[in-house]
Amino acid sequence: MRAQFILSEIGIGLRRNLTMTVAVILTVTITLTMAGVGWLVHKQVDVMKDYWYDKVEVTIFLCGTNSSSGNCAGKEVTAEQRDQLNADLHATPQVEQVFYESKREAYERFKVQFKDSPDLVRNVSADAMPESFRVKLKNPEQFQVVASAYQDRPGVDAVQDLKKLLDPIFKLLGVGQKVAYIFAGVMLVAATILISNTIRVAAFSRRRETGIMRLVGASNLYIQTPFLLEGAVAGLVGAVGACGLVVIGKWYVVDQQLRPLLTFTNYIGWSEVVATIPVLLLSGVLLCGLASFFTIRRHLRV
Amino acid sequence: MIRLEKVSKSYPTSTRPALDGVDVDIEKGEFVFLVGSSGSGKSTFLRLLLKEEVPTAGRVHVAGKDLSRLSNWKIPALRRSIGCVFQDFRLLPNKTVHQNVAFALEVIGKPQATIEKVVPEVLDLVGLDGKAGRMPDELSGGEQQRVAVARAFVNRPMILIADEPTGNLDPSTSIGIMKLLDRINRTGTTVVMATHDAAIVDSMRRRVVELSQGKVVRDQTRGVYGYGA
Ligand SMILES: Nc1ncnc2c1ncn2[C@@H]1O[C@H](COP(=O)(O)OP(=O)(O)O)[C@@H](O)[C@H]1O
Ligand SMILES: [Mg+2]
Repeated sequence: MRAQFILSEIGIGLRRNLTMTVAVILTVTITLTMAGVGWLVHKQVDVMKDYWYDKVEVTIFLCGTNSSSGNCAGKEVTAEQRDQLNADLHATPQVEQVFYESKREAYERFKVQFKDSPDLVRNVSADAMPESFRVKLKNPEQFQVVASAYQDRPGVDAVQDLKKLLDPIFKLLGVGQKVAYIFAGVMLVAATILISNTIRVAAFSRRRETGIMRLVGASNLYIQTPFLLEGAVAGLVGAVGACGLVVIGKWYVVDQQLRPLLTFTNYIGWSEVVATIPVLLLSGVLLCGLASFFTIRRHLRV
Repeated sequence: MIRLEKVSKSYPTSTRPALDGVDVDIEKGEFVFLVGSSGSGKSTFLRLLLKEEVPTAGRVHVAGKDLSRLSNWKIPALRRSIGCVFQDFRLLPNKTVHQNVAFALEVIGKPQATIEKVVPEVLDLVGLDGKAGRMPDELSGGEQQRVAVARAFVNRPMILIADEPTGNLDPSTSIGIMKLLDRINRTGTTVVMATHDAAIVDSMRRRVVELSQGKVVRDQTRGVYGYGA
């Protein structure tokens, strides 16, 4: 089979059908971008879980002068209550480590955390900071056991779990991922229909050529390959576009926007993005190649 | 070379069979006219030889092969051994004469060197030397049909099928095409030509197979178009 002949046939086909080819390429781009985004969100959740589940700890805030919970009844925690809690925590089997953080230490940490907002730091005194026990659990999932055992104890203001704070973020990311996948699915249908139509139009507009080819005994492979490659090339171009958008998206949204804005977590790196590229390229070629293949099978019979 | 045994063909959309119990045997190197009025089944007969259609009943043998047992992937090989010419020429309008003939070889994967050698030879044979660079719309009808014959014959097929090749041509041009087909037949190629041009059939005095409503009603060596001759 002569490559030059086939290449020129593909070129002629793609150009003859330019508007539809462009539509196919754009649809494929959007389909694969959405699939890529969904996958990267999934990876981002993994990264965040790795980062956070390592650090998850339960914080037991102790009553202070300005504690609002009914458990405190406006009274500060007493030294006996504090010692009792400390001893009990050390004796709790689910607990791995216990740190006590005094008002002073809390204030120091607060100052470091908000060093960019001196006004805020100036307006808060060390006395207003809550003292707390920071408890590291053997298994972060056992938060509920510890929380219910301690939240009503005398001298305890509130029990807070970092995991509980993160859950809404994971939920949000989960929703984002689902939306991206659904969108990708819908676009996939659109892409398939468009490719199929494009190849059908291409087959129709070249029916004279293919008719003669059949008549003089060209093999099916020879007749069909240009159409197949035409689809595959359009798919490849669309996939390259999707890869470009994913790379730009990672650079702009993650690196430029999110990373400086939300500093409390890690983000996906380039390795996750690079890993998606061959998958996207292959998907583009396969998606369009297969759609073309089945269209040709139906519309270019022997 | 070609043998039809009790061949019937019914199209799903029509009530009357297009061919009805046809028995015909054509030897290698014969020149056969297939005559009959429009709708008598001539084109269907020819399409069966190419396995463009399959018979509803009976067997078709071409070049020693039983077409009902020919698997689909072998159909291209069958068609490479049969050249085809039609009433409407079927040339590619955006290719030159040379390119039109070369196309038939390119798509069956012949090497470029062969193509460059045999295309001018066959154009010479059909009397189109010097017109290789013309586009089809710059040629007369007779010349266009010569291009079609050149394309059908360039691969030196064993069989040449012509479905009313002179149907769009005036009588004097038709004579030229018939002389050409006769010359091709004299190289040993079996020629089967469907026509309802009485003058041509009468002047050639070759074997005539007449179809009427899908049945063979006459099979005559050195025949004429109508009865009574
Ligand atoms: N593709 C087809 N589908 C249905 N009927 C057809 C088809 N081709 C031919 N016929 C019918 O078969 C009969 C024979 O047609 P055809 O072989 O074309 O005859 P001819 O070439 O002698 O004019 C006609 O009645 C015609 O209407
Ligand atoms: Mg006919």
